[in-house]
Amino acid sequence: MTRTHRGQDRGQDRRQVGIAAGTLALVLAASACGSGSGSQDSADDPIVIGVSLPLTGDFSEPGKGVERGYKAWAKIVNDKGGLLGRKVELKILDDQSNADRVVSDYEQLMGRDEVDLLFGPFSTRLVVPSARVAEEYGMLFVEPAGAAPEVFEQGFKNLFYAAPAVADDHYNLLADHILAMPESERPKSVAYAAMDDPFAQGTAYGLKSKLEKGGIRTVADEVYPPNTTDFGSIAAKIADSKADMVVGGTQYQDGVNLIVALQQLDYQPKLAAFSTAPTEPEFAKAIGNKTEGILAPTGYTQKADYPSNTEFVEKYTEQFGKAPEEDEANAYTTGQVVAAAVEAAQCASQDPDCQSKLVEWLRGHQVETVVGPLKWDDKGRPQSAHMIQQWVGGEIQIVLPEAQKEADLIYPKPTW
Amino acid sequence: MPSASLVFQSLVLGVLLGGLYALLAAGLTLYFGVMRVVMIAHSAFLILAAYLAWFAHRETGVDPLLTLFVTVPLFFAAGVAMQRLLLTRLRPATLTMMSVLLTFAVALVIEGLLGYAFSGTQRRIRLGYSSVSIEFLGARVAVVKLIAFGMAALALLGLYLLMKHSRFGQALRATIQHRDAARLLGIDTDRIAGYGFGLGLATAAVGGTALALDTTIYPSLHWHWIGPLMAIIVVGGLGSVPGAAIAAMALGVLQSLLQLELSTTWAQTVFYVALFATLAVRPQGFFGGRLAQRF
Repeated sequence: MTRTHRGQDRGQDRRQVGIAAGTLALVLAASACGSGSGSQDSADDPIVIGVSLPLTGDFSEPGKGVERGYKAWAKIVNDKGGLLGRKVELKILDDQSNADRVVSDYEQLMGRDEVDLLFGPFSTRLVVPSARVAEEYGMLFVEPAGAAPEVFEQGFKNLFYAAPAVADDHYNLLADHILAMPESERPKSVAYAAMDDPFAQGTAYGLKSKLEKGGIRTVADEVYPPNTTDFGSIAAKIADSKADMVVGGTQYQDGVNLIVALQQLDYQPKLAAFSTAPTEPEFAKAIGNKTEGILAPTGYTQKADYPSNTEFVEKYTEQFGKAPEEDEANAYTTGQVVAAAVEAAQCASQDPDCQSKLVEWLRGHQVETVVGPLKWDDKGRPQSAHMIQQWVGGEIQIVLPEAQKEADLIYPKPTW
Repeated sequence: MPSASLVFQSLVLGVLLGGLYALLAAGLTLYFGVMRVVMIAHSAFLILAAYLAWFAHRETGVDPLLTLFVTVPLFFAAGVAMQRLLLTRLRPATLTMMSVLLTFAVALVIEGLLGYAFSGTQRRIRLGYSSVSIEFLGARVAVVKLIAFGMAALALLGLYLLMKHSRFGQALRATIQHRDAARLLGIDTDRIAGYGFGLGLATAAVGGTALALDTTIYPSLHWHWIGPLMAIIVVGGLGSVPGAAIAAMALGVLQSLLQLELSTTWAQTVFYVALFATLAVRPQGFFGGRLAQRF
């Protein structure tokens, strides 16, 4: 009860302050007050950002990664004096990886807690229902983890995905590279295996449609449920197809299991690409260091030399004792995108004018982030590409695009 | 149409899988045979053993097989304790039904404790020889799968010899066949039942370790296993160890071969189809006697 009460009080205070500031703005010259009103009037009133995250349940591991990313962002911003001169404060609820819970969480955050801004949750399954609530309230909704095609087919007008590319486009640079190879050298047949999950399947099928268009045959195409633990039979079918290339639409463990099962059958493709798994820190140990030549798309690398990334990696490591991974980086990126919009629009509140200014600004502008410069199409799809990494000399290195590469792509892949 | 080499490879994989299923189902058959107890927690104990093997390997680097020296006696003792302290408190008239509820609760407790201790993250034992395989008539046989199969064969053979040729085994079989008559002959059937339950859990220790060699484990994985295992012992004939072994082999091979034409999801349904078919056509099971008249 008290919290509600205080929330309303604060809301009222702020509205009155807002009216006062508005009047002041009309009286004074426009240039003088634009930057002054926000900071001066509410310097002690923090900008509250509402988030619901899966801190327990199925997605708790990545959920906690996203939480760390958001916290790192808030700390770095506050250490520099905040946004518009106001401190930022995160209000994080736990949705237990539950799609019903996430909806009521965001309703509470906007209705009862009257937060000023929103950040998105983790995973497509939770992003879609929560984005619907944000849309109803007319709030800007930048999210770190809804890469599946269905996120962008709902007609959301306020949603932006804070990463370089949607799932379908993760392998774009690899597809271009393969199709540019001389006809005699390039792989002629491909075997696909994908988890029955919108994200994992999206990555594999994005590549599949591009390679098929380029005339490369599909010789095996297996889909398996997320709880599959035995990959012997799937691997047997792939090995028997003798495909020149194998593509896995995988998350972490199934990727590891599938690779081990393929190695057990002594299947030696010329190219092997798996999403997610090969970029995880434990990957090499998990498959007994037989990693040479394995490819993976990635939206983030600690080594990228964007100025904000150098700062992020250093300060994050200071705060949490280890370097950030992709989940943390995507969360941090979300913070950067929202902050850029807030600074450009000079406002941070639930006021519909403010929220539509934030959305409009993001539609037309590019934002510099830890994953590189981002801009979006009218559905909120980011318009960049994922980098392609490959295990070379016992280390995972960027091989595509040319401008970013740390090593040359090895083809054909050494035996594993 | 799948090639001959793929069919043979799938057959090999199916036999290896079937051997593992046989080991995992053997314990379930024992509990039911000895005491009419439906032990829902059996697969939770499998996962517990798998976690202990994984944990010992991660902490000390020992080969997971060495954990058997600890887990087998430990699980045997846990089984005896569970039978003496929990199951004997159930009323004989409702034993079968109430045992489902009781062991369901035990399974939940194990799952919860595993989640608490090791989190929900999926784990896999990192062995230097995980991806090593040998060639067998043109098919590849993974060394870890072969070890698991060998463990299953040894454990089942040991179980068979124990049941057929030891005094304890005879007493256990007598208890299975006719508890009252066994008691009249001077067999302490309560003690024997406790040991029988312990023996069942000891097979879970071996099975879980075998399982951990080549699969990913997570706390709720046991729900994924209990269905197929129950199907196996129903098809094999409740209470019959050889019946369970034959059913496990048949269903393992069938699953592996069906995978050639169907997807992974559909191939797994073979267990449930077999379960329904058995209950409809031959409720006493296809390979064993009705309610464990034979061992």
